[in-house]
Amino acid sequence: MDDGKSGRIHLLDEQTVNQIAAGEVVERPASAVKELVENALDAGAHHIDVVLREGGKALISVTDDGIGMSPEELGMAVERHATSKLRSAEDLNAIGTLGFRGEALPSIGSVSRLSITSRAKGADEAWALKVDAGAKTGPLPAALSAGTRIEVRDLFYATPARLKFLKADRTEQSNALDIIKRLAMAHPHVAFSLSDGDRVLFRAERALSTGDDAQKARLGDILGRAFTDNAVAVDAVRDDLRLKGFAGLPTYSRGNAQQQYLFVNGRPVKDRLLVGAVRGAYADFLARDRHPVLVLFLELDPHAVDVNVHPAKAEVRFRDQGLVRGLIVSGLRHALGAAGHRASTSVSQAALGAARPATSPVTRPAYGEKSALGGGFHDAARSWQAPTSPMPEQSRFDPETIPVSARHEPVTQEQEQAAQREDYPLGTARGQLHETYIMAQNADGIVIVDQHAAHERLVYERMKASLEKSGVARQMLLLPDVVELDPDAASRVLARAEEFAELGLVLEPFGDGAVVVREVPALLGKVDSVRLVRDLADDLAELDQGLTLKERLEEVCATMACHGSVRAGRRLTLDEMNALLREMEATPHSGQCNHGRPTYVELKLRDVERLFGRR
Amino acid sequence: MKLTIERSALLKALSHVQSVVEKRNTIPILSNVQIEAADGQLALTATDLDLAIVEHTGADIAQDGATTVPAHTLHDIVRKLPDGAQVGLSLNDRTLTLNAGRSRFTLACLPREDFPVMSAGELPHRFTLPAPQMKRLIDKTRFAISTEETRYYLNGIYLHVAEGEKGSTLRAVATDGHRLAQVEVALPDGAAGMPGIIIPRKTVQEIRKHLDEFEGEIGIELSDTKILFRFAHAVVTSKLIDGTFPDYSRVIPEGNDRLLKISCEEFSEAVDRVSTISSDKSRSVKLALETDKIMLSVTSPENGTATEELAADYSAEAMEIGFNSRYLLDILDQVEGDEVEARLADSASPTVMRDGADESALYVLMPMRV
Repeated sequence: MDDGKSGRIHLLDEQTVNQIAAGEVVERPASAVKELVENALDAGAHHIDVVLREGGKALISVTDDGIGMSPEELGMAVERHATSKLRSAEDLNAIGTLGFRGEALPSIGSVSRLSITSRAKGADEAWALKVDAGAKTGPLPAALSAGTRIEVRDLFYATPARLKFLKADRTEQSNALDIIKRLAMAHPHVAFSLSDGDRVLFRAERALSTGDDAQKARLGDILGRAFTDNAVAVDAVRDDLRLKGFAGLPTYSRGNAQQQYLFVNGRPVKDRLLVGAVRGAYADFLARDRHPVLVLFLELDPHAVDVNVHPAKAEVRFRDQGLVRGLIVSGLRHALGAAGHRASTSVSQAALGAARPATSPVTRPAYGEKSALGGGFHDAARSWQAPTSPMPEQSRFDPETIPVSARHEPVTQEQEQAAQREDYPLGTARGQLHETYIMAQNADGIVIVDQHAAHERLVYERMKASLEKSGVARQMLLLPDVVELDPDAASRVLARAEEFAELGLVLEPFGDGAVVVREVPALLGKVDSVRLVRDLADDLAELDQGLTLKERLEEVCATMACHGSVRAGRRLTLDEMNALLREMEATPHSGQCNHGRPTYVELKLRDVERLFGRR
Repeated sequence: MKLTIERSALLKALSHVQSVVEKRNTIPILSNVQIEAADGQLALTATDLDLAIVEHTGADIAQDGATTVPAHTLHDIVRKLPDGAQVGLSLNDRTLTLNAGRSRFTLACLPREDFPVMSAGELPHRFTLPAPQMKRLIDKTRFAISTEETRYYLNGIYLHVAEGEKGSTLRAVATDGHRLAQVEVALPDGAAGMPGIIIPRKTVQEIRKHLDEFEGEIGIELSDTKILFRFAHAVVTSKLIDGTFPDYSRVIPEGNDRLLKISCEEFSEAVDRVSTISSDKSRSVKLALETDKIMLSVTSPENGTATEELAADYSAEAMEIGFNSRYLLDILDQVEGDEVEARLADSASPTVMRDGADESALYVLMPMRV
């Protein structure tokens, strides 16, 4: 049997099997933390405390107050494929718990010194079990008041090769912190803490409230209050799918997509579907290199999703990808649409920060406190959300509402009275500064509007609406363009041919691996259709949706909007300014320009008062 | 080199050659024009390496010589000199001095030895073409030349010998994939064996400038890769587009049987009027054809609508079709007769248009879906 180097085929011993499995399940300390904390959550814990020493290389300790284990269960727990979470293969189709593979504990046990101390609920004594690089000792009686404590010492000491590939303590620690934060986001009713033995690195208290408030409070703890103040609640249902969560306003955006979290049935996952859907939903509001911050929880029938794809369960497969993507895009769009013209509070805070006198006589640490300022704005903003429908069609022909016509009729009594009303969210225009900014006064503050950015957005929204209404005119080609693609890309593009046709691009198959372009959107003029189709194919491969075409059309609209709007430097009458403000209130997404910059800033009166030390 | 020349003669020659010179160049000497005084004549040469022009003009030459100076600068200077001024040019070492009246300019020169010479090589096919015919070939087709770089073989006019029912003709075709223009003239002697060639857009533009002032016979010499045009005082040499022009005859429909005849002027003015309302770039106009009339309409969701009814000669089945108004006007601009004829099939097939008074030109326009 041991003749020759390659030898004969034989079954591996259990320890080796576990070490191989450990390679997949436990990649680094953070993945061990993930497995252990998920176990604690599955055990119904209300408090989970994690201690990491040397980034988890020396010690990972997870203590929970869950249901605990009996001595018999303890013995079983470290056996491979022993789990309480799955009874049969049928259950695999409907997984309701975080763990299920029964691989985590034996895998960890095979590469470290593992000790488990647990007291089953209602039991009088606690028991401890030790596993040293796969060798089991116990269970022996031990002392523990309730729940389970798992200690992993010297992770990977049994697999020195893996040990060498670990990063610096700090990196491993921040990876573990990221994992705990993700799990904490999904479980607001469980208290979490992480310490390195000396210092507490992260603490989230158990939320006492219920529902969205609890969720929001938890997200505020983790992502910062600024996020919850600048996010809109997402709540969308389609068939058996339910999408909840919070989406950041476009004006509160980041340079990378790291702060985008998706949870599927409470399980944190990374999925490229999310990236594409988010880009699609925000395409209108953000420049390509800006990324929104958002946290989305997707709940669906466990049958409709396969979590048994990846050993660490970082990826999932949806039975109906299109439905999920559609729900995310429409849910986000709807939520952002409801946000109307809100711009983020961080904008007005920045403005106030800049306005603060340099030689402040009294320093008031409370001044910049986000919660007070943000909360006030937030509440006020919520109360404005009513007018979200686009402008009614006939209003475009109604001379009273043309925003910036060059009318110079005398102001009638009626108009004057209307102008005095201050219950408009964006207030009443009081004047124009530097022929660029409109100053307006509303019930409880000052509104400063960038006239060009605001009008550009209004024109853009109007154009988009009319484009949607009338459809995209298509120029048929006398000489159709043949685009050579690889067969995969060609079939991907052709599968979406109907969708593209609606946007003006008509494609037909042309032999193997080629498509022929028959009609192009007239709006794009003499477009390089070969490149357009190639870009679409790349989009489909990368994001599973063809954004390029829509973006190109919107780019043309945006350019035309830019040229067709009131420039900075143009003098406006009060009537014109008020008309602009009213139209902004009535137009969705008017809070930011086409590049995600704010179109207006609102300063609360009480903040202005603070500037002058009146408060 | 030392010479004197009348300002207007120099300006005319310079304005012909300077437009060949690109505004920005990576090779400095390509920004220059070569000035050569010899045999009692002044020769100006400019090139962009694809196209070269040599223009001769009479001058009072005191001393032969040659150099190169920045073309646009020299052109601007001469343009701003007073009419009737006598311009003196003299080369001293590395600068060219220009004197006119009390003005005096000194221009930096680059050595003429470095100036790229474009060799025409062997040009086996030679014939002459009257200037008005050349003008026709260009004017009626150049609006349809494609500007899209990826299909470079459409970036010019395709000139070739066509075999028709009435014998051979010299035919010019241009298309941008949306519309096509085709015009032909009688085949000149000596052109029979010429290959089909694609003359680049820039060359077409340069040639066209000379045709406004030139009435005689143009000498044309060409090979597979180059073409040379000989005017009275100028010679233009150009590379040809190295590509295969598509088989355009496939896209010219034969069986379009719905014939529309309409006054070109009225039609053109009406299209121009109704398209005022369209605000977006697509500029579509819809044509509803009924017995002896057509109805033009444009709808803009932002601005409103426009319609206009025109009397026309039409007896086929009623139909509707949409076109890009810009494209339609481009074609109507080419029609010289009173009437334009359009042969249509249906709203998704190409339409053939002709000048009612001119059988030799033909246009194909692809409709828009609106």
